[in-house]
Amino acid sequence: MRGRIMNALFTRMQADEHVFFLTADMGINLVEKIQQAFPSRYLNVGIAEQNLIGVSAGLCNVGYRPVVYTISQFLTHRCYEQIRNDVAIHGYPVTLLGTSAGYDNAPLGPTHHIPDDWGALRAIPNIDIYCPSSMAYADGLLERILSQPRAAYVRIPKGSFEQPASADNVVYLPGVLHGPLLISYGSMVQPCLKVQARHQEVAVLVCNRLRPLDEERVGDALRRHPAAWIVEDHFPSSGLYSLLCQFVLEQRLGCRLHSVAPREEYCLTVGGSAEYYHRRYGCDETGIERALWPS
Amino acid sequence: MTLVPAVPAARDLSVRANPREVRKTVLSILYRGKASHLGPSMSVVEMLIAMYSSVDLDLIRAKDPLRPRIIISKGHCAAATYSVMAHVGLLPWPLLETYHQDGSTLAGHVSHGVEYVEHSTGALGHGLSVACGCAIGLRARGAGQASVLVLLGDGEIQEGSVWEALMFARHHRLTSLIPLIDNNRISSITTTSDVIDMRPLKDRFAGFGFQVYEVDGHDVEAIMQAIATIRQRAEMGVVICHTVKGRGVPFAECAPIWHYRSLSDKDYQAALAALGQEAGR
Repeated sequence: MRGRIMNALFTRMQADEHVFFLTADMGINLVEKIQQAFPSRYLNVGIAEQNLIGVSAGLCNVGYRPVVYTISQFLTHRCYEQIRNDVAIHGYPVTLLGTSAGYDNAPLGPTHHIPDDWGALRAIPNIDIYCPSSMAYADGLLERILSQPRAAYVRIPKGSFEQPASADNVVYLPGVLHGPLLISYGSMVQPCLKVQARHQEVAVLVCNRLRPLDEERVGDALRRHPAAWIVEDHFPSSGLYSLLCQFVLEQRLGCRLHSVAPREEYCLTVGGSAEYYHRRYGCDETGIERALWPS
Repeated sequence: MTLVPAVPAARDLSVRANPREVRKTVLSILYRGKASHLGPSMSVVEMLIAMYSSVDLDLIRAKDPLRPRIIISKGHCAAATYSVMAHVGLLPWPLLETYHQDGSTLAGHVSHGVEYVEHSTGALGHGLSVACGCAIGLRARGAGQASVLVLLGDGEIQEGSVWEALMFARHHRLTSLIPLIDNNRISSITTTSDVIDMRPLKDRFAGFGFQVYEVDGHDVEAIMQAIATIRQRAEMGVVICHTVKGRGVPFAECAPIWHYRSLSDKDYQAALAALGQEAGR
């Protein structure tokens, strides 16, 4: 998915001389093509994420449209104040491309697990949040973002998922009316789709864009189902579960919500893949089925 | 007695702002707004005058995309910044009178909500990175000669992000970027040398590849000369301005509490008297 987004960026940079790419020394075999083609609009700032965001804000000041790339953990938490003060307060349209979502970096340990990134950014106004779930959505994502005059954060999962083959911000895959509804985003949509393939009464709602939430379409889906399970590789207290709890209360929808998400802890036990942690926290296919049918 | 200090009327802009007059303005708006940051405002008066006198204000007024940039990284010297801006004609006097008061756009830290202020600061260690972005962006747009002047505090440079930015600036040879350090030797609650002793400060910047100019930070001509020299030589240069925190107000000079304390009636009268001005005119 990273490659497709970077290809879209390259195409856009060919056509739009305002787009400026920055990396904090990440993206081997991805960024070189941009460096060679657009040397005056390419910057590797080094291992210095605070400076990465500050420089991006300065580029906005002189009229550029920066697109910034590094690992999500460093891109959000390390320079949180720079994002808040230098980007959000100024309303600067910096695009933040963050890789390695959730437990994508599984065996690298808790400093590289990222179950708390977009939830942190959710606390800051003026930043749209995208968690693409498929290649079809990723392909048009950069154009979608750059057509808006706002900052955006993209949580790019590892993988090249063909399904759902839709470029919509919200994708509703129906099950049976009043049956269980799974709501998810990013790579966690895949186990939801597997559960749906085995249990056709299950509906799935895919949220590729988490802010602004498409309240009309999400509300429509929640009205069709008395209970929904929010499946995510993010802490629920700041993730989609929390966001939808607020939404359901404000809209008086009466839908019961359940969280299928990691325990709110930093795990010191090594897992060889993201699936290890999904299993551990009951967010994999089996865990979702257990949550839907506890007996 | 309650005083109603008058903010000075509009100046003849053909004459460079006078430090003593600027200090009176600073005192007036701090007093009227019951605001703090007297000490860090008074130390930078001459630096700000030199910075605004070293750029083409017409380009700034015209909001030319390729204009020179002035970034105030130590945002808590807002009273001095806004006062100097008023004295050079970049900020309306009636607006200045609203400093730190309900409904005003003039907060106690500089804000881009105020016309001609490039960037909002207040949390320290942000301005130099932003200035680097301006400088490299201006160069990419073919305006590499446009100056980017940045005002930093000597306490502020304890922030690690400042050194990230300096390394970046040196690597990319951003010669249009000129950091000016307000070396008043007091950070927040005590002296900088008590907290993080960086003396000799010159060596720190020299070690990062900068030519260092040390000047009397209360000598406008000396500061301007240093800026001009760096420009003329197109070198990586830093200007360390040796200043006195609270300069011009004897009871506030070198006294950390005047980072925080606001002026009472009596303080205001005493401060004005010290500047050779009758109070309550």
